Amino acid sequence: MNKKRSPLLNWVLFFATLIVVFFLGLLASSVTERRAEQQTTWKPEVQIAKFEPRNEVWGKNYPTEYNSYEKMKESNFRSKYNGNAKIDMLEVDPRLVVMWAGYGFSIDYNQGRGHAYAIEDLRNTLRTGGPTGPDDGPMPSTCWTCKGPDVPRIMNEEGVAAYYTGKWARLGAEIVNPIGCADCHNNETMELQISRPALVEAFQRQGKDITTATHQEMRSLVCAQCHVEYYFDKHREGAEGVNYLTFPWDNGQSVEAMEAYYDAKEFSDWTHKLSKAPMLKAQHPGYETYLTGVHAKRGVSCADCHMPYMSEGGKKFTDHHIQSPLNNLENSCMVCHKEKTAQLINDVYERQDKIIENRDILEKLCVRLHVEAKMAWDLGATDAQMKAILMDIRHAQWRWDYAAASHGASFHSPVEISRVIAGAINIAQEGRIKLARLLIELGYKGEVPYPNITTKTLAQEYIGLPMEKLIEEKETFKKNLLSQWEKEAEAREASMPVIYNK
Amino acid sequence: MSNILHKLTPPPSWQVPVVVVSGILFGLALYLVYVSNAVSYLSDNPTTCINCHVMNPQYATWFHSSHRERASCNDCHVPQDNVFNKYFFKAKDGLRHATMFTLRLEPQVIIIKEAGAEVVQQNCVRCHNELITDNKMLSKSLSFDHFRTEGRKCWECHREVPHGRVNSLSSVPNAQIPQTKTPIPAWINNLLKSKTKN
Repeated sequence: MNKKRSPLLNWVLFFATLIVVFFLGLLASSVTERRAEQQTTWKPEVQIAKFEPRNEVWGKNYPTEYNSYEKMKESNFRSKYNGNAKIDMLEVDPRLVVMWAGYGFSIDYNQGRGHAYAIEDLRNTLRTGGPTGPDDGPMPSTCWTCKGPDVPRIMNEEGVAAYYTGKWARLGAEIVNPIGCADCHNNETMELQISRPALVEAFQRQGKDITTATHQEMRSLVCAQCHVEYYFDKHREGAEGVNYLTFPWDNGQSVEAMEAYYDAKEFSDWTHKLSKAPMLKAQHPGYETYLTGVHAKRGVSCADCHMPYMSEGGKKFTDHHIQSPLNNLENSCMVCHKEKTAQLINDVYERQDKIIENRDILEKLCVRLHVEAKMAWDLGATDAQMKAILMDIRHAQWRWDYAAASHGASFHSPVEISRVIAGAINIAQEGRIKLARLLIELGYKGEVPYPNITTKTLAQEYIGLPMEKLIEEKETFKKNLLSQWEKEAEAREASMPVIYNK
Repeated sequence: MSNILHKLTPPPSWQVPVVVVSGILFGLALYLVYVSNAVSYLSDNPTTCINCHVMNPQYATWFHSSHRERASCNDCHVPQDNVFNKYFFKAKDGLRHATMFTLRLEPQVIIIKEAGAEVVQQNCVRCHNELITDNKMLSKSLSFDHFRTEGRKCWECHREVPHGRVNSLSSVPNAQIPQTKTPIPAWINNLLKSKTKN
């Protein structure tokens, strides 16, 4: 090699390399662009059949949504009062045991976890008992209705009324996929759709057509398929004796309107073990109470806060990790509210604290009502003497449950919930005035002692629950019938084809 | 000094590889400047801000606001007191944004930081000075900041100005905004296309 190269040659070499590298870069750009095209062109991987219950099959075509759905398996968030973690509510508040004496909820009641646990938690709760065969156990098949996308599949196969017939254990091997895709989505267009007949029927009886709902309304109505007050109507024309799932909305959705509906039908969920009152169990009127709140009035849907829109790589999608916005404030509240995180959380807790203050007072009054009514019965009160009192107990506790079971309502609609609780405190005290008069008439002097129910165990002993037996029955069920269900379901799903697109 | 330079100068037999490697380095650097639209960052053109798509909602909402007629992004979001401060702030803010975007750390709801908010507030005052001037005294009302704002920013009341009240990366999914042009020159694309056709 020459010792002395011309500097010109060096410069030529330098610029030639520079230009080659620059154009190589452009080529690399082109390759990257084409690869990106491939990613953004949507190709469905599988064909999703009508009534496809398996969420993971839908997930193959919609991985972004499905990945966020999978996050519902997390159960590590506790807010001040709720969250997604399992909380034994009877331990937190043993008064509930006495208020629900004679009803399944006094045995076992936990804070619900994410949708992904719908099946598992229903199998494990002591409320569903320990059935030994398809025609055994305390609960009807209707109890499965909100638990997953196998339900519309079975309703399609058996017919709606036939699905509502029989025991819970009858469908144990069939309903195995937790709440998911097919509960809210059309399998072809992915549009939101109503899969449960009870909501459609409730709309029809009110003279409304649910098919005219806008997309924004649907973003709440799909939730309203389940997060509502309901009861099992055994006197439905053409389906007598069947536990037909029905929403009591014919007179309206307020606490008074639904109460009037039940009173007119003389319907009760159960007879209270202590007071013998014909009780109503409010299920979870989340949608009804939400409608009375300011967010609903401004057109904000359930999904806007509980499943906020997200954007990844410039692509918009809905967060399918359905959860408390308190665990996701930055992406939900702050889309509209510019305040600081701590300030917003405080606003929520402040409303909850103030409402629970009066709810606690009401709970104590309800316990006293049941205990004092029992005393009156023990002293020989007659049905006629007790009638008005029992109605007060029914109405007071119904209002308490409407406020408590609607969970988020003390934030969704604090003014309405305060009104309902205030009304209930008055009804409860009116009932206790009547009871005081009656007790004096029956010769009882002084205060009826408030029972020692400081823990769940004490409260359950007080109302006479055979807890050990119930737990043992559940364990036997898990060992025998449940593992049989799982095997049957696995075999059935293995024979259901998944058709891949080529 | 000349000693160090002498030490850094490659021996004659290394000249070719060193020249080639320097060519590669400078070529890559030039490519990066070109492909990242780096020169555009010196301008005041609002489309520069949507070089990164996370700013699309801010661009779209500004584009449909009255401010579009008078004020570009920079008129509000970088200091306009002097040219050094302007480019210093721009570089500081821009490098932070570039880092966040590259590391995919952008939040779903982008909220302005205190330093940025301060700049915007100053720029509100810069243009709308007459609104906070007592025209009887023909001087800026000293009491304005103290008695009327109490440390609040203009947009705490004028909440729609100019980006609207719904703020999220996904708030304007269907907005028509200028697309970033492909960095590949048309003639290369044509060349590649004709190749694939054959």
